[in-house]
Amino acid sequence: MIKYQHTTLANGLEVVANRDSSSRMAAINILYKVGARNENPHRTGLAHLFEHLMFRGTHLVPDFDTPVQMACGENNAFTNNDYTDFYITLPKDNIETALWLESDRMTGLNLSAQACEIEKRVVIEEFRQRYLNQPYGDVSMLMREMAYTTHPYRWATIGLKPEHIAEASLEEIHSFYRNFYHPSNAILSVSGDIAPEQVFELAHKWFGSIADTPYTANPIPREPVQTEPRRMEVEREVPATTIVIAFHMGNRLSHDFFLGDLTSDLLAGGDSARLYEHLIKNKQLFTSVNAYISGDVDEGLFTFTAQLLPTTSEQAAEEALWEEIGLLQSGNISDYELEKVKNKFEANTLFGELNVMNKAMNLGYYSMIGDLPLINREVEIYRSITRSEVADFAQRTFRKDNSSTLIYRAR
Amino acid sequence: MMQQPPLTIPQSIDVQRAEKHIAPNSTPIYVLNCPEYEVVRLSFVFHAGTLTQQHPFTASATANMLAEGTQNLSAQQIAEELDYYGSYFDINIDRDYTYITFCSLSKFFEPTAKIIEEIILRPTFPTAELEIYRAKRKQQLAIERRKVETLAREHFAKAIFGDTHPYGISYPESEYDTLCREHLLQHYTANYTAQHCIVVCSGNITAQVLNHITSIVGALPSVQVEDNVTLSPFSSSRLRRIQHDGAVQSSIRMGRLLFPRTHPDFIPMQVLAMVLGGYFGSRLMQNLRERNGFTYGVFSAMVNFQHTGYLAIATQVGCEVTDQALQEIAREIELLRQEAIPAEELELVKNIMAGEMMRILDGPFGIADVTTENILCGFDNSHIQQNLERIRQTSSEELLTLAQRYLCPDDMTTVVVGEFNG
Repeated sequence: MIKYQHTTLANGLEVVANRDSSSRMAAINILYKVGARNENPHRTGLAHLFEHLMFRGTHLVPDFDTPVQMACGENNAFTNNDYTDFYITLPKDNIETALWLESDRMTGLNLSAQACEIEKRVVIEEFRQRYLNQPYGDVSMLMREMAYTTHPYRWATIGLKPEHIAEASLEEIHSFYRNFYHPSNAILSVSGDIAPEQVFELAHKWFGSIADTPYTANPIPREPVQTEPRRMEVEREVPATTIVIAFHMGNRLSHDFFLGDLTSDLLAGGDSARLYEHLIKNKQLFTSVNAYISGDVDEGLFTFTAQLLPTTSEQAAEEALWEEIGLLQSGNISDYELEKVKNKFEANTLFGELNVMNKAMNLGYYSMIGDLPLINREVEIYRSITRSEVADFAQRTFRKDNSSTLIYRAR
Repeated sequence: MMQQPPLTIPQSIDVQRAEKHIAPNSTPIYVLNCPEYEVVRLSFVFHAGTLTQQHPFTASATANMLAEGTQNLSAQQIAEELDYYGSYFDINIDRDYTYITFCSLSKFFEPTAKIIEEIILRPTFPTAELEIYRAKRKQQLAIERRKVETLAREHFAKAIFGDTHPYGISYPESEYDTLCREHLLQHYTANYTAQHCIVVCSGNITAQVLNHITSIVGALPSVQVEDNVTLSPFSSSRLRRIQHDGAVQSSIRMGRLLFPRTHPDFIPMQVLAMVLGGYFGSRLMQNLRERNGFTYGVFSAMVNFQHTGYLAIATQVGCEVTDQALQEIAREIELLRQEAIPAEELELVKNIMAGEMMRILDGPFGIADVTTENILCGFDNSHIQQNLERIRQTSSEELLTLAQRYLCPDDMTTVVVGEFNG
């Protein structure tokens, strides 16, 4: 249970505060409601490139990291398809240093041609390191391109190709900053041993005078309903063949999200879960097998992956996965098993509330999806899920017509 | 624009001392009681790292197979029970030690402890489960070795310790085929004993919880053994370039053998490694990433083993700029040997290190990790404050002397894995 208070400044900045009296550290999180889904298909990777540029210094503070580090702090950031998140943890007495820096870079970023050129090279190296120079590095890219025809989830946050990053113009970068980095598109969340009223005062002091520059983003195109199975086969220099099957499912606020999440835990949450027990231990078909949801804000994917043993045929592997799906669809789920995944969800929720950083980050996230109280309601929602709901979810979701299958064959 | 706010620099870090108990078989149990957290975390550290194994992959296989079947429970029953209570465990193995850490909610500690007891005291290492494990790990290792960074790490260990030295050696995947149940049983019997174990627990450790822990720990067999592993001498080589077809980036590792954490120069060398490549704005990051765009990241650190330690620099760069990157790394090292570090930069690094310690020590689990590390080096938790003071005392002059003594280019080992024919 995370206690919090919430307010909105006159310029539209949302502020959420949690008091944690057991810690000497404070976490300051600022979330901008922009991610790769806000990019256009001809200039992908821009949201992520921009996250990097946010560390390139402002006119007032030429080096962002040094003042954080002088304050015994640490900072980092990440971008996904839905949002961009920046966080700082430091001794709580230095919280104003963090607020000063975040308010400064909301408006004063120094986007010089030189800074942009160097940062593009860094991001292209990241592209190579994480996607091109890794075995299986392009699996998620191939799957996105198959499963989505229209919605911008078609590309990963790193972008469709390195050229999109290399060719981004200074003007495009400037307008991205103007359009997406302003108070009413941001959420500030703080966890530490500081009273919420004081957090609100400090937020007002550091952010209150920033003028909002509202911008109406283009609506995000909806993905049309898939009506027939899709399939892609590729060959790569990898030691083992991998099979991936993905299905479209509901958005973050739909009940199907919780059903999907719980179903993925039934299938693959821990060593006692079905897929591991049935397919690795008993049938000995795979070396690893997984089921997970993408967790996106818009309608996302439910994905199965399996890595084959050399002795397993592709056909046997696919059949085995569909057989597991069949078991769920027929309602073959015990009360004990359901209870187990609910307990596990509850324990993990508690383990995740042990430090200030997780709490600040989560408060920002739930604010962004538009249902802050949900942060304390999810355990209860999972508790209420029934066997027949899971079976019904499996029947509606795991249909051939709704599937995209990737055969990633070892050469 | 508004002024930069004033700073408060923490001058002390008080961490509670672990309370030491001794089980009847003389295994020490260290307790960090944090009753405000309704969790229990229990770590067993056995002196059973890869250095102690008699056959390739035995140390990791033994640890990873502990929960794959015991006298009273099958692998599936163990997994079911742990998952049912939302409890979990982690296994970590290094050259020296094996760490087995269990976490549970306080309210489910009792049923979890019953499983812990089975896993630690009564594993049977069933052959059928071992076969699955071997096939899985063999394939995973083959995949890992498609990565340039994995190859660089393995070749670097060989290059600084010697190809067949127990600290340097790595084995082909095919050695998994030779691994059998007897190897695991032998390793378990020899090393999972009272004399080879310390236990650290944190969270809400009530008298009842401690009793339960003591009864499990006290049942570890007492086996008197001569514990004098004589380590063969190290032999370092200068440069290795390993061809990896089709790589678009090269992985670089550079460094040299130094000394373990107990050496008086260890902390100042940590400061020096930090200046060089230990944080986001470090000299290597500024040079390779921020000024040249050669890499997504570059790091340097002191790495501690029981009997030695080394300094390492690691990065991945575009294959086409590999030689330039190597030159720039050498240039930054040389600079540390030529010029004293400016006071402002050193101050910054000291604050970063203080902040890092505070962050690690935030929360009961982090405190337990640091406590464990201290115990293994023969320190108690007052060492944390001493470390902080030692960091504060380190001067630019001292670091210049150390750089001249320890960072001589002729003493450095360099390993590069990448595409050299492209």
